[in-house]
Amino acid sequence: MSAGKTAVLKIGIPGGLLYYRYGRLWRSFLEELGAQVVESGETTRSILSSGVSKAENESCLPVKVFYGHVLALKDKVDALFVPRVVSVKRKTHTCPKMLGLPDLARAACEDQVPIIAPTIDFQTGLWSNYQAVYSTGRIFTDSPTLMLRAGLKAWREYRRYQRSLKEGLFPRGRLELDPRRRLCSGNELRVAVIGHHYNVYDTFTTMSLLDRLRSMGVDVVTADMIPERLAREELSRLPKPLYWSYEEEIVGAILACSRHRLVDGIIFIISFPCGPDSIVRVICEQENRRLGGPPMMTMVIDEHTGESGFLTRIEAFLDMLRRSSAVREREKVPSLA
Amino acid sequence: MGSLEVVLSSIFDQMGVDYILPPPNSQRTIELGVKYGPEFACFPLKTTLGNFIEALEAGADTLIMVSGRGPCRFGYYAETQRRILEEAGYDFRMYMLEFEPERIPDLLRKLRELKQGRSFLSLARAIKFAFAKAVLVDRLEKKALAQRWMDREKGATTRALKECYRMIREADTYASLRKVEREAFQLLESVPKEAREPVRIGIVGEFYLVLEPYFNLQVEEQLGNLGAYVERSVYLTDWLRPTGNNPVGGHSDAESDEAARPFLTHFVGGEGIRSVGHTVLYQRMGFDGVVHVMPFTCMPETIAKSILPRVSKELGIPVLSIVIDEMTGRAGVATRLEAFVDLARHRRKAKMRGERPQPVPGLL
Repeated sequence: MSAGKTAVLKIGIPGGLLYYRYGRLWRSFLEELGAQVVESGETTRSILSSGVSKAENESCLPVKVFYGHVLALKDKVDALFVPRVVSVKRKTHTCPKMLGLPDLARAACEDQVPIIAPTIDFQTGLWSNYQAVYSTGRIFTDSPTLMLRAGLKAWREYRRYQRSLKEGLFPRGRLELDPRRRLCSGNELRVAVIGHHYNVYDTFTTMSLLDRLRSMGVDVVTADMIPERLAREELSRLPKPLYWSYEEEIVGAILACSRHRLVDGIIFIISFPCGPDSIVRVICEQENRRLGGPPMMTMVIDEHTGESGFLTRIEAFLDMLRRSSAVREREKVPSLA
Repeated sequence: MGSLEVVLSSIFDQMGVDYILPPPNSQRTIELGVKYGPEFACFPLKTTLGNFIEALEAGADTLIMVSGRGPCRFGYYAETQRRILEEAGYDFRMYMLEFEPERIPDLLRKLRELKQGRSFLSLARAIKFAFAKAVLVDRLEKKALAQRWMDREKGATTRALKECYRMIREADTYASLRKVEREAFQLLESVPKEAREPVRIGIVGEFYLVLEPYFNLQVEEQLGNLGAYVERSVYLTDWLRPTGNNPVGGHSDAESDEAARPFLTHFVGGEGIRSVGHTVLYQRMGFDGVVHVMPFTCMPETIAKSILPRVSKELGIPVLSIVIDEMTGRAGVATRLEAFVDLARHRRKAKMRGERPQPVPGLL
């Protein structure tokens, strides 16, 4: 790959799984290093179906989607960028599928494209992560200052992205954020849509759930918008700490919603057959009942989920929420009199 | 779970702890587990949940479960099962034993309560003795796998093995265990055999399902009866041993990881990387096929399953992945195993005749 230091390398970033979290960071890092970044963008029907036909039957929906993105990119690029994110926080892991992701990508494109796969693992300390970033940078440049600049710029970009999500913007297409499209605009009904980034923000597999809820006049809250302090508090109350980083966020967000009644209803999005979520679901549903939280609906999506069935359930859930809040209002009146 | 039962009952006997053996695994165990368990939790979570319910029905008031902190769901089984059982209205205490270095004080505290007034030394002795028994069980199982294909009368080795289990369970001193060892090996040796043409099959996969004959639909026995010399990658005592040098199975973890490297370079939880590594090792040893057993939705094995077709294609060894859950039918598995053994045998014969082996037919 040493020849690449002179020519501009085309690097593909598949738009699935952790792309919804770190895509901006990766893109900015690679572009700053002088690579030409090619992204597969939003999931489409053809991406999904090619992924489904290539991936193992037992894989979860987002992995199948990811396969589709890899296949969509493999003929257009010089290399694919699929980092192996092992752990992003001490004492936690990501899901096993993320640990094996570069190997899965390699199996998916049958070795036709080289894969750049730095290992990010915050359990082993900062040094190994620095080395991982450095070795990636070396593919493009020999200059450590350029690498440092790219790293800092990418980090700032990532922080900006996270902050926008926190403020209620949501990504579209190639992770564009439109400041005019916000999830909350002071509507009466507020619903939390909680789940993995790659499910909630994937407009194709969730059938534009966020947009639709907005157009139905509902304020939406995502896990990113829940105050971190509340989520952490809930996690520390669990009898046994969870050890999956991203699922921790989900549990924290849902339990914060149920304890503090931050919303009128919770929609919990799970993709079939997500391993950690099958366990997390038990905790969330049980604790929500115990805390007397708002109504919660668990939606399991997979590649066979039909749009009308999905929407009917959402509409019925919203109707139920509206009616029960109306009932609450009525009950309040006599008690005041 | 076959040999684990021998180990645990031995420890409890020696410690004088009153214990209840849950009824043997049955369709009811599965039904109970499926009824209370989360929809797409992995199969072992459901079956062990079923075991717990059956034990509670039989009068147990304390449950012991190991727990951990791996990327695989197993570490969270105990907590999930406790929540489910409590919500279902059962009255019990659950001890979750965690073997993490930083949880050792907690582990010792729990063991102190569990050992019911006996000393830690006697507990250590009981565990050591139980481990010796377990090693013997594993060695006998390995021997049975290696000879079942020669049985003159089908099922004779399995019967002899059952008898061996009983003998081991009754042994209560090292001296009697040594005697049992001699007798058990003789017993297996004495099973009438006849000369046959073998076909060599390796079994890899998820620990629990590989070891639990009821739930893996007796894959080992079926393969043996189809005339296959069988080796398997996981044994209980190898798995429990912290060193990872696997004296019973014969291949150390490091060796297996090294073999897996061209295909899977990172630990993915559970036995995922071992399944890939051992498949490569079996190919190097000239095996004719590998059967990969995994529970439905098992995360590490799903990764292994995604990568095994590539191993199979590149190294030219047929691999059959069998995914098991509560819906798996016995006849379906039997048919697939039969077809697989046939295929492996044909390839072997072709190889013997010096023909170029047929390419491995795609996904099995």
